[in-house]
Amino acid sequence: MHYKITHITKYDYTDKVSLSYSEARLMPRNCKNQQVISSTLDIEPYAADFRIREDFFGNHVAYFSMQQAHHAFTITAVSEVQLQENPAQLDFYQGYTWEAVRDLLAQQTHSTKQTADTLDARQYTLDSPLVAVTTELAEYATLSFTPSRSITGAVNDLMQRIYKDFTFDPDFTTLATPLATVLEHRRGVCQDFAHLAIGCLRSVGLAARYVSGYIETLPPAGEAKLIGADASHAWFSVYVPEQGWIDFDPTNNQMPNTQHITLGWGRDYADITPLKGVIFGGQQHELDVSVHVECLME
Amino acid sequence: MATSNQYLQASKANTWLGNTAGYSAGASMLDEMLDQSGKVRPHWAYYIQALQKLGQGEVSLRQNEIHKLLRENGVTYNVYGDPDGSSRPWQLDSVPLLLANEEWRDIELGLLERAELLNLILTDIYGPRELIRQGLLPIEMLFNHSGFLRACDKVKIPGKHQLVLYAADLARGPDNRMWVIGDRTQAPSGAGYALENRLAMSRVFPNIFRDTQVQRLDGFFQSLRHGMQEIAPQNADAPRVVVLTPGPFNETFFEHAYLASHLGYPLVQGDDLTVRDGFVWLKSLNGLQRVDVIMRRMDDVFCDPLELRDDSRLGIPGLLEVARRGNVTIANPLGSGVLESPGLLPFLPRIAEYFLGKKLRLPSAATWWCGQPKELDYVLNNLHKLVIKHICRGAMTSVFGSQLSRQQITYWRDRIRANPAFFVGQEHEVFSTAPSLVDGHLEPRQSLMRCFMVAQESGYNLMPGSLTRSATQTGDVLVSSQLGAMSKDTWIVGGTSTQQTNVTANRHSELVGSSYSSTLSSRVAENLFWVGRYAERTEGSIRLLRTTVKKLYINPDNSNVHFQHSLHTILRSLTNITNTYPGFLGDSESDNATALLQTPDGELLSLMLDEEKIGSIANNQRSLVQAGYTVRNLWSSDTWRVMDEIKSHLEQSQQLTESTLWNIQEHMDRLITALSAFSGLIMESMTRGNGWLFLDIGRRLERALLLISLLRSCFSTAQASGTEQLLMESLLETSDNLICYREHYRNSIELPSFIELLMLDKNNPRSLAYQFNRIQEHVSKMPRKQSNAQLSVEERLILEACSLLDLTNLNDLIKTTKGHVRENLDQTLSRLYYLIATLSDSITATYFKHGQLQHSLNEVRPV
Repeated sequence: MHYKITHITKYDYTDKVSLSYSEARLMPRNCKNQQVISSTLDIEPYAADFRIREDFFGNHVAYFSMQQAHHAFTITAVSEVQLQENPAQLDFYQGYTWEAVRDLLAQQTHSTKQTADTLDARQYTLDSPLVAVTTELAEYATLSFTPSRSITGAVNDLMQRIYKDFTFDPDFTTLATPLATVLEHRRGVCQDFAHLAIGCLRSVGLAARYVSGYIETLPPAGEAKLIGADASHAWFSVYVPEQGWIDFDPTNNQMPNTQHITLGWGRDYADITPLKGVIFGGQQHELDVSVHVECLME
Repeated sequence: MATSNQYLQASKANTWLGNTAGYSAGASMLDEMLDQSGKVRPHWAYYIQALQKLGQGEVSLRQNEIHKLLRENGVTYNVYGDPDGSSRPWQLDSVPLLLANEEWRDIELGLLERAELLNLILTDIYGPRELIRQGLLPIEMLFNHSGFLRACDKVKIPGKHQLVLYAADLARGPDNRMWVIGDRTQAPSGAGYALENRLAMSRVFPNIFRDTQVQRLDGFFQSLRHGMQEIAPQNADAPRVVVLTPGPFNETFFEHAYLASHLGYPLVQGDDLTVRDGFVWLKSLNGLQRVDVIMRRMDDVFCDPLELRDDSRLGIPGLLEVARRGNVTIANPLGSGVLESPGLLPFLPRIAEYFLGKKLRLPSAATWWCGQPKELDYVLNNLHKLVIKHICRGAMTSVFGSQLSRQQITYWRDRIRANPAFFVGQEHEVFSTAPSLVDGHLEPRQSLMRCFMVAQESGYNLMPGSLTRSATQTGDVLVSSQLGAMSKDTWIVGGTSTQQTNVTANRHSELVGSSYSSTLSSRVAENLFWVGRYAERTEGSIRLLRTTVKKLYINPDNSNVHFQHSLHTILRSLTNITNTYPGFLGDSESDNATALLQTPDGELLSLMLDEEKIGSIANNQRSLVQAGYTVRNLWSSDTWRVMDEIKSHLEQSQQLTESTLWNIQEHMDRLITALSAFSGLIMESMTRGNGWLFLDIGRRLERALLLISLLRSCFSTAQASGTEQLLMESLLETSDNLICYREHYRNSIELPSFIELLMLDKNNPRSLAYQFNRIQEHVSKMPRKQSNAQLSVEERLILEACSLLDLTNLNDLIKTTKGHVRENLDQTLSRLYYLIATLSDSITATYFKHGQLQHSLNEVRPV
């Protein structure tokens, strides 16, 4: 699958902004089944200072600063990626049990059994800025993590339960809503569901990370797709030794395959915020986002 | 065992040190001054002899002298939530801690080795992380620590060392060895206090200090300067170094200011700096100036709201990116706070083997990190005798197991078990005691040394001395400046003191004068401007108040209608010039003005003493002290002393109970004297740079505005000549002009000559014309962006004010039109007020550019 993604973010300020500093994580990275063909950022007004680097997790970050007075700011990210279909279907009844993975991750560093990958995955078992393990999360998780179950089977079950138990509701939560509220009211958006799943996995000692990206949405049969109707999306990934990281999308109850485009990942949203910034002046601002995911070739 | 009795024994019965008795034994097994058999250790012998020779009375006097000196120098340590106000005077014990040079050499080797080791660890943590790969450092210890900043990964500073400044807390354990009980690697504080302690001690005990041959501290501060030069980015020719402080509310702000001025670096706050084009710049009066090295005294997470804590208003957005590119060096680098984790301690011996191939010379306090099963068990089972610490310093204060109830022990067991990786248990050591002077005799107190190191190309350099702190009570085990510990100077004795250049206390004032004029930040200029304005405002209003009080109490002539009228006019002017409406003017709704005019005492007292009343004298006084404190590194020690006096005045005035106008007269006199001394010092001893310029402009503007208000409210409407006579006399007295007037005019006071003296006389330093001329001179010298021939806005405004006065016809000015109104006078004064007030606004807009408010952009969440 060959996709072109156009992601436009526009800020309108009620007052002049004299200086602005931003970090954008809007350029996709290569990963197991994703090849980045091209990726550009267009910033308006002119960014006097602009630099791209890799962050701690290997994501592409663009730092830029605007030093002249402005009343609006637009950043347009255009990327093309090629996705390979994941050939093998996962067998949810085979492979590592979740306890075996937990025990492997829990081994202190001096054991030699851990591979570099497992060692690296251990950081994703720890609490992170937006996801801290609680007894409530552990309680919710236990139902899926029954003894000797295969790790993929258990995680798949967790995903299905979240999909079933929780209502998608963009008006109920905000960026600041704590996980406990989401769990209590069983409502939220993809970001909340991803955080929830990550919290559950960590509560049983597994390594889970947050994936930021896009999903291709299809219009109802017979209708044309509207430009800009798509949105940023998020899901989670779990570490399984030898197989590596396996993605799950609890919002859509599916294993991402050829419709999920990955921007990058981190411990939670705070590590991979698509766009953040500090401005001087501006007073109030309004913000407008449009995302268009276009399939160029099947 | 070092008991007080031994102090007695050792000092022999015939001396004052032996004349006091009756205190209990110290808890420690070891004492710094006495050996096991109770004999004075050789390196203390000379000092103790000298102290005895001095005599008890004299030593007590000198202890007071030290206290006074520190207080006057404004040495403070701010304690959060302290009811005594934000700052508390620094406590210095007049008995130093003495260490023999031979032992110090050993300590030095151990500390330098530890500094090198921590440097290697820091380099690895933000680099290849071999320690984790090799299993020498558990990932949970490092990655759970809030000081491990992922954004700082792979950021390196130039030079051989990543850890530039390092401080270690040392104490002597029961085995007679020195133990490291804590590491400070973020923004270690205390070196400035150590220096200030040394200056005070050498001044108060000059002979003992000289004859004891104490090693000098100067060399360390030179190394510090060299160290800062060496780490500047490569392309910087003459690196500009600044000291970054969170501001005057920080607990060690005194030290930030003191070090900055001692080292000759500008002291800056976050909003004095800005990031542009990939570099950091200082917003100075002369435009943006590049900054190469930032010696930071701010915790790392506050330094950059873009990449670190987005709610920080103290930092500089974009700073970390500039550091990442190597265009500015921050010392210590952001992220270095992670080394302060006590969770690191149990792993140090193996890491030392790995990096250095040897055992550490100095042991650390025995520590168990609960992230490992065996260690966790040990800690849970021995909680009652351990100290519980969080791996992130500041997350909680240490908990002493021995002080916990059974219930609390259970609570802590559960809490640790829930998140074991966040906790360590540490051996509760009892450290050696050292003698402290308490109520005129020596008492053993547990003590702790903080030792300071700085990296240079050639290696680390250790300050030959330390900041020693001792517990407040005999038997106390907790030593913390936050808890009010007493500090001590530390004397390394017996070595051949290396010859080093003599840095005297005066040296920095000269440095400040030269380096500051070119890099005066807008914020500092603004503070100086307001120091000028508040000083003048306080002085102006208190003078008028004093005149009023005299009128009320000395020889009041209540039967005289002129007296009554003039008094009421002055009372109303007081409300006018202090902007404390409705006051004596009353408001339209309730006519309480008449009552107030009859019994003005209450309102006058609140004008004088009510600190919370905007415009009151106490309120202005507070603003003056605050503005002065923010730029305290610019004051000479004499000026600071006077500033401190103004501050104590304020404190005393707040404690006056049952004050009456009568008994606060002396208080007012003293405050006026202090304010005059302040003005005098500013005139006589402050370098005529930009700083002085802004301060004096502030002062002149304020004096002009006060005088205009006063003249307007007293003479815009003509009154009976008897009333005006009394008014003129009062105003002349207020402005210190009565004698001058009598000398000039030698007759009864008349309005034309009065107005001439106060408005038009260019030679009278209290006249309007005089203020305008000074302002005009200053404005022409202020830094300007464009050097074109056109007059600046400020120049135009003051030119108009001067011309208006020059062209004034005295007789026209004071003649009455429309009945009793002196329309010309009123209009002229009103125009002048407008011009001067606009000038002030214009200076504010041009020079004190307030950056716009900082906001974070709203983020878009994925759905």
